[in-house]
Amino acid sequence: MRIQLQIFLGALLITLTGAILIFVGLNEETRMAEFEQHQQAQRIEVGAELFEINCRGCHGLRGEGIADLAPALNSAELFTTRLGEVGWQGSLEDYIIATVSTGRQVSTRPELYPGAGIPAMPTWSDRFGGPLRDDQIESLAAFIQNWEATAVGGTEIRLLPTSTPDPAYSADPVARGQAVFERSGCTGCHTIDGISSGAVGPNLTNVGTIAGTRLKGFTADAYIRQSIIDPAAYLVEGYDDLMLKTFAETISQADLDDLVVFLQAQK
Amino acid sequence: MFKTLNFTDIRNKLKQAFDARVRIVTAGLSLQELRALLRGDPPTEKPNPRYKVHVTSFLFHIRPKFYKKASTLFTHTWRLGFFTVFFFALELITGLVLMIYYTPSPADAYNSILNLMSNVPFGKLLRDLHRLGAEGMVIFTVLHMLRTFLTGSYKKERSFTWLTGVVLLLVVLVLSFSGYLLTWDQLAYWAVTIGTSMAEAAPLFGNQVNLLLRGAPDIGAGGLLRFYLLHIVLLPLVAILMISIHYYKVAREHGISMPAKFDEEDLSVDVKKEANRRIDFLPDLLAHEMFLTSVGIFVLVVMTAFFYSAPLEHIANPQQTPLDTQAPWYFWWLQGMLKMGDKTLMGIILPTIIFGLLFAVPYIDRNPHRQAYKRPAAVAVGLLATFTIVVLSYMGLPQYGIETPAATRIIQDLAPEEGLGELRSIPFEELQPGIYQVNGDMPDELCPDLLWGCHTLEAVFAEFSERVHQAEQAGKLPDVEAVLVIEEWQADLMKVTPRIIWTDSQSGVRKTYEKHIFLHRDHNRSE
Repeated sequence: MRIQLQIFLGALLITLTGAILIFVGLNEETRMAEFEQHQQAQRIEVGAELFEINCRGCHGLRGEGIADLAPALNSAELFTTRLGEVGWQGSLEDYIIATVSTGRQVSTRPELYPGAGIPAMPTWSDRFGGPLRDDQIESLAAFIQNWEATAVGGTEIRLLPTSTPDPAYSADPVARGQAVFERSGCTGCHTIDGISSGAVGPNLTNVGTIAGTRLKGFTADAYIRQSIIDPAAYLVEGYDDLMLKTFAETISQADLDDLVVFLQAQK
Repeated sequence: MFKTLNFTDIRNKLKQAFDARVRIVTAGLSLQELRALLRGDPPTEKPNPRYKVHVTSFLFHIRPKFYKKASTLFTHTWRLGFFTVFFFALELITGLVLMIYYTPSPADAYNSILNLMSNVPFGKLLRDLHRLGAEGMVIFTVLHMLRTFLTGSYKKERSFTWLTGVVLLLVVLVLSFSGYLLTWDQLAYWAVTIGTSMAEAAPLFGNQVNLLLRGAPDIGAGGLLRFYLLHIVLLPLVAILMISIHYYKVAREHGISMPAKFDEEDLSVDVKKEANRRIDFLPDLLAHEMFLTSVGIFVLVVMTAFFYSAPLEHIANPQQTPLDTQAPWYFWWLQGMLKMGDKTLMGIILPTIIFGLLFAVPYIDRNPHRQAYKRPAAVAVGLLATFTIVVLSYMGLPQYGIETPAATRIIQDLAPEEGLGELRSIPFEELQPGIYQVNGDMPDELCPDLLWGCHTLEAVFAEFSERVHQAEQAGKLPDVEAVLVIEEWQADLMKVTPRIIWTDSQSGVRKTYEKHIFLHRDHNRSE
């Protein structure tokens, strides 16, 4: 190709490139603002997932709180009077992040929400021995703050008939434990009269009575715990070592507690 | 003094002085010559001052004085080598700017990318250019090598040039891969975890290599810093050195190879003379390079401004392995091989042999001929190897050869852990709360309340039903019940739950698999 033509075309392309860059540049402000908004939306989505996994056990499926346990987070109170009540100087976001990160050693309203005792709420930040990273806690805070529109802004959301709070998260640990029992696959192998009819493992209808007597030095609570976490440690006569060894990893501490309470109640 | 004042004289002196300055800057070209050069006119002085530049100027001494005409034919080189270097230069420039905004620590790395995207004008464009350039560099390196192989241009005096080329291929692959980790998102983290775990399989010193790369048993702050330094210091230095050697051989020693027919066929003297005609670097080759550069920049800017977005997934989470973990595409072939056997054999020994063979190609292939039909075995091996790499790459895809439970697969395909998926592509307005049961009859209209209907939702639901039915008929999901629940969760936030319940054929237990997907109105999913 003649060099004049190449120089001409090259110059043309560079000019066009420049024009595109100017076009891109003019849109940058909008694009950056949109990206920020999009990022905030993504934080809310991630926060919603984290809430389901970590928080709903005490604060309710939709943040409605559980009586005698933990306060509602979807209420107007959090967005209006709460900061003044506890004398918080910073923003609501800071308050949520601080509370989630460090938990609550003692409840600020023990008569209403004693929480889980001491600590009333565990620490969640991995800086204080919890499981969550800072970015995850920020996402949780974004999700919790997103209740403002329904709590004080007058926005209504339509509830489906199914979305009444899950009975698994009721205040009664026995009911919660039963739900854990049913969803963790226990029913496939164990019988509890009126609940399940599995025949692979021992019948658990009276386990609450028997458990304390099986092993010397073991309380009913300790025996049931050991049987779930380390099933091979003690085998009931006539049964083989068939139970899954994975519950120690797959079952959360809270679920395990509920499950033990439920099993102890089987008398 | 005034006696000698003569304006012509002064003008001439000034002209001479100016010309002398110009010659210093242009390494010997006069002003007049420079003009002729830019016009494409023949040289104005003898001996040709344009050749002198190649002796006096540093930047031009590494460039060729001329190439033979036939060796520059477009259909011979396809300009693949040129564009490889073009991409390398682009990576250097964009990389230098990106470094300003980047912090190589797990706590800050991902945030610095977000900041780049949301707070830096042209930040996204820069990142896209850098990413696209990296992919381009890998593609063009491989194509360049393939072309060199097929035209037999690695023979005799070019053997060592080929060898440096294979080193460059390795450098480019590792350079690209080491940059992969720096965004510190899920994609990056797990791809690199897999990559470095292969080093672990190396016999004898595998653990040490793995530890050296990662800086700890798991990738963390140490690993990120090491990959960062590899990416910005060591590998670019090695690449610059190797490119210099590779290019110097071509430009100053043996030139670009001629198309084989000019070397090996009996052609008329005129044709040979024309083929051997010199194309001077100044001005023809230089102008052509500038032209190619402007084409390259234009195409890249158009692609990044309108079509391409570099992927960015959720922040790296060492606790959560994504279901479909995947290496970058240029390592799919390796992933495919790993599925076929032992990690040490397939991940270390065979790749070492493959690269060993690549290095040795000019020394194994002693056939002096270059035309394809005179070296059928070599061409066949080359094509077969290319084909094998493509097939292996296909086998490396997560969809191939990995058995995922049916219910998990269906829901994962609709709403993957990372990336978009069909379910997340439903426009927010179409997400009408409801419980949509999968059974034989589809309702005519899923959302009668919406004037404009909800076609995307209907399509996704149809797809979901279809997949569930297929799995049921294939016997993978006996007694299946499936449902798609859409709930309003917060203001501007929807919760979508696809749920599949079936009877496990081995234990007879009812099993449930479900996934909770939250979708916010402002989450722009069109990108």
